[in-house]
Amino acid sequence: MINAVLVFNNNGQPRLTKFYTQLDTQTQQSLIAQIYQLVAQRPASACNFLPLPPLLSQGASSGASGPSDAPTQITYRTYATLSFIMISTSMESPLALIDLIQVFVESLDRMFENVCELDLIFGYETMHAVLSEMIVGGVVVETNTERIVAGVRNQEGSAGKRKAVQAASSGLGRGALPSLGAWR
Amino acid sequence: MFEKSLYDLIKGLRNHKGGEDEYVQACLRECKAEIKLQDIDKKATALLKLIYLEMFGFDMSWASFHVLEVMSSPKYLQKRVGYLGAVQSFRPDTEVLMLATNMLKKDIVSPNILTLSLPLATLPHIITPSLAMSLLPDILSRLSHSSAVVRKKSIVCLYRLALVYPDALKLAWPKIQDHLMDEQEDSSVTTAAINVICELGWRRPHDFLPMAPRFFELLVDSGNNWMAIKIIKLFATLTPLEPRLTRKLLRPLTNIIQTTTAMSLLYECINGIIQGGILDGEDNVQERDEVAALCIGKLRGMIVMDSDPNLKYVALLALNRIVTTHSMLVSMQQDVIMDCLDDLDVSIRLQALELAAGMVTSDTLQAVVNRLFSQLQLASSQDSPDSGAVSIPDDEESENWKGSSGVVDALNMPNNYRSEVIHRILDICSQNNYSDVVDFEWYVGILVQLIRLLPPSEVHDYGHDPSSGGPEGSTGGRATVASRIGSEIRSIAVRVKGVRLEATRAAESLLLVDNRSMLFPASSNVGDDVLGPIAWVAGEYADHLQSPSRTLQSLIDSSTLSLPPNTLQLFLQAIPKVLIQVNQSCEMKEAWKSELSLLLARVLDFLDALAAHPDLDVQERAIEFLEVLRLGAESLQSETEGVPFLLASVIPNLFAGLELNPVAASAQKRVMFPPDLHLDEAFNDDLPGLFQGLGETTQHHVIQQFYHVADISPPSHKLPQPHEQLTAAEIQLDASYQNSLGLTADYPGTVDKRKVYRKERYRDDPFYIAPLDPSSGMSTPHHDAPHASSGDALDIDSIPIVDLKLDDDSIRRGRRDTLGSRRVHTAAKMEVAADETFGSEESVALSHSAKAGGPGLKRSLLQVDSSGLGHLAGANDGQSPGLTGGEEDTEMRKAMQNVEQMRLRMQRASERIELEGTPAEGTLVKKKKGKKGKKGQATDQSGDTKRKKKKHTSE
Repeated sequence: MINAVLVFNNNGQPRLTKFYTQLDTQTQQSLIAQIYQLVAQRPASACNFLPLPPLLSQGASSGASGPSDAPTQITYRTYATLSFIMISTSMESPLALIDLIQVFVESLDRMFENVCELDLIFGYETMHAVLSEMIVGGVVVETNTERIVAGVRNQEGSAGKRKAVQAASSGLGRGALPSLGAWR
Repeated sequence: MFEKSLYDLIKGLRNHKGGEDEYVQACLRECKAEIKLQDIDKKATALLKLIYLEMFGFDMSWASFHVLEVMSSPKYLQKRVGYLGAVQSFRPDTEVLMLATNMLKKDIVSPNILTLSLPLATLPHIITPSLAMSLLPDILSRLSHSSAVVRKKSIVCLYRLALVYPDALKLAWPKIQDHLMDEQEDSSVTTAAINVICELGWRRPHDFLPMAPRFFELLVDSGNNWMAIKIIKLFATLTPLEPRLTRKLLRPLTNIIQTTTAMSLLYECINGIIQGGILDGEDNVQERDEVAALCIGKLRGMIVMDSDPNLKYVALLALNRIVTTHSMLVSMQQDVIMDCLDDLDVSIRLQALELAAGMVTSDTLQAVVNRLFSQLQLASSQDSPDSGAVSIPDDEESENWKGSSGVVDALNMPNNYRSEVIHRILDICSQNNYSDVVDFEWYVGILVQLIRLLPPSEVHDYGHDPSSGGPEGSTGGRATVASRIGSEIRSIAVRVKGVRLEATRAAESLLLVDNRSMLFPASSNVGDDVLGPIAWVAGEYADHLQSPSRTLQSLIDSSTLSLPPNTLQLFLQAIPKVLIQVNQSCEMKEAWKSELSLLLARVLDFLDALAAHPDLDVQERAIEFLEVLRLGAESLQSETEGVPFLLASVIPNLFAGLELNPVAASAQKRVMFPPDLHLDEAFNDDLPGLFQGLGETTQHHVIQQFYHVADISPPSHKLPQPHEQLTAAEIQLDASYQNSLGLTADYPGTVDKRKVYRKERYRDDPFYIAPLDPSSGMSTPHHDAPHASSGDALDIDSIPIVDLKLDDDSIRRGRRDTLGSRRVHTAAKMEVAADETFGSEESVALSHSAKAGGPGLKRSLLQVDSSGLGHLAGANDGQSPGLTGGEEDTEMRKAMQNVEQMRLRMQRASERIELEGTPAEGTLVKKKKGKKGKKGQATDQSGDTKRKKKKHTSE
């Protein structure tokens, strides 16, 4: 199963945190910081899998063979200024997770029309809605972009998009954003 | 009053760059006021802002009641905010959840699909057993909802319910099964069901075997890659149970492997074949070989095709899984795997490293290690031009990456990777008690050179506290690289007699102060951890030393004083041993006497400096040897010709006994406590009373007397005298010291006196080997045991160590060697002594794992505990739950579950304690640095072994 989905930008500021198990805020923050550390070190040419950060490797059993409940895989993917991270157990396929992140981003792109970091900051609630159409309780329930977007649109009517447009047209943040691709 | 919207908050945050903290605090205060207002709109807005801030670590647990209020809002979008708040902020200790049951019930059965989806998506995050019990019927009814979205979410929700409340599965499983079997069912619902079964599958594979035909059908016909991947994963857990499945699966899987264009599906097919053990059977060998060749060929292709690092990584991952069972097949791919060791990507390199470690044989070991070694050398030679710069700045690093396309010398070697490589080299060589190492001289050479290549700082990049790490401290449960290298040299010296000379010489060269700048990494003291074990080697095998006097001078060099306590302890132990060696080797010379007394004076100076060391162990050993050697120095002055008896025989005999053999770490634990040893009982209950009766003047007098008397006369004559004067009260004083009521440690007299007391008290104790026996005055009772007079209190048979039953053949062999049958090893393969232990090896491992169970049982972060499902009897025959186990069993299981729940609750409670110090609101939660508890455990254990070591050396 998927244990957590995280999104943060290239400064390590969280943009979305979703933990499918209850975890105190303190530990959440240090876990995010540790994973950011790992992601930040990696060049664009590197593969999309991270070694376990100290917080996670402590509890993981050494016997990697065979399935278990412990999260053992961290898959990440970076788009412009944002990094998307999925922490999962060995029951998820690593390559499929990369695709799942892609589906997530594509769905966001459909929701916000040319999504950028700023959209996600202001459309923060919508982002959560998109994710909960895809993953419930750590289990993937939908991988079809159409249906995901339709599900969220149903919830929000035009509200979600309006918010994003409002934010985008306000012109306060666009300039402040680091130019696309500066990170990678 | 004008409330901020989330939009305003974010805008404000961006406008307060630098002063965010104050701004956030102000906002939190506003939110706190707003959320208490009656207006539900304002409440919801405030909550949304709080959720946003929670993401950055600002606690909002205090608002949980308000979350419930917003959840019950009639407006959908507000309700959604409320549910989001619950997902993000409810923790296991959130108590208001009990109040929400009715509202959740109402929302689940809502006619509005949107509304009813909210609790379905939220419950997995907040579910508790009692909540699960009361909501189960409602969620079950949602399984037959007309909307596919609701059905699939309900299935998943039920899965999470079953995790905390396993009985839910009994009721839910037949229905989920129906959905799965229904061919008319919406494909997304089927996929969700498969995903859930996949999670359940490895826990209860037997329950899903009957459904294999349906899975098979879905795999072949569905054409949905997402689902196919999951089904293959599921089959990998089923095939070990049903051999016939393998035969059936082989063809479709081969077919997919050959035809699919989706790399993820291809990879999972190969992985499924490997993990499902499809390659393992005996029958149909030819077909299996073909499949194996096909899989390995595809994996090789994934590695060679260097366009996609992800494929390279997962291919190595798959090879790592196969290496234990099919090492031959994997080692045929050695060439590409070795190339991956030079890959630019650290993740790939780490996988390749693990693979290399799994695949070495005695033939390939040297090549693999040499390759890793030269990699390290290259990396460190790159460091040195930067004038010892510890880390290359990030941007420079990434330039390196881009600039070089596959050139080895641009390899990025972060320090923790370097220490990982060294760890692996040591793992590779030491596995199976060095069975793969052919040339031990080469190994010793490698070890010595590795010290030079130690990464500049072993502190982990991510927040391990360097100060609390300590020399024996662990990074992630392992000893530091440096101390491991030291232990390896010691281990080789002890186990492999054939290279003992070389190992001792190596230790000697490392110890010499003049060599340190050359052999140890520059500009840091990471190498210091090596020194302890090698000092022990130099001391124990002092007869192999090339120049004992130079070694001794290095041991008592002034720089030694600043070493960490546990290194110093080992140094102290080595000093007298080397001194004896110097003494013996210089007896021939003319001026031996003046030389010796000079040397003795220097050693005494050194020990004197340590006599007040803050570490008690160091202090005690220093004083112990100080006293003994003082006696030696005095006897040297009084004796006119020849070496005094004390120096020539008595002191050397302290250290010359049976040869030390490697002892298994668990052996000490198996030594039985004698039944009449009561460590928990107080010597005397009336401790304060004894203190009152104690005259201060006599106490002072006694201490003073001890301190001075000890200087003049040898302890053998002195001992009885103070003993007579001692009242019981003063012995109690000793006990009170340990209760830290009385005297302080840094008063040298106390220590001295304590030592004498202890010597006296332990004289007849079989567990304590007194350095000097007052009755014989020349040798330790242990070595003289056979000659000891029969009436002596020392009863050798009561020493459990003598009773060891050595079952293991290899041990017996090793034992025979040491006891002097003197077999000569001419074979090229050197004999390596195995760990000594007694009792059966399995139970050792068992007790060991039970011991490790303490920290090991601790769940990993983020982990969902599905173990409850494993205990549940027959979800499949749902109607007759109790039949398989019998009533007692069910009861037992329930009790076990209760215990488990209690344990978890207590664990959580203990984890929460840290949080309580912080105010409920408005605090930015500090990032936690590492975990301390683990460390304590580790040092504790290493302390154990150390104690044992000490026991040995003092024999």
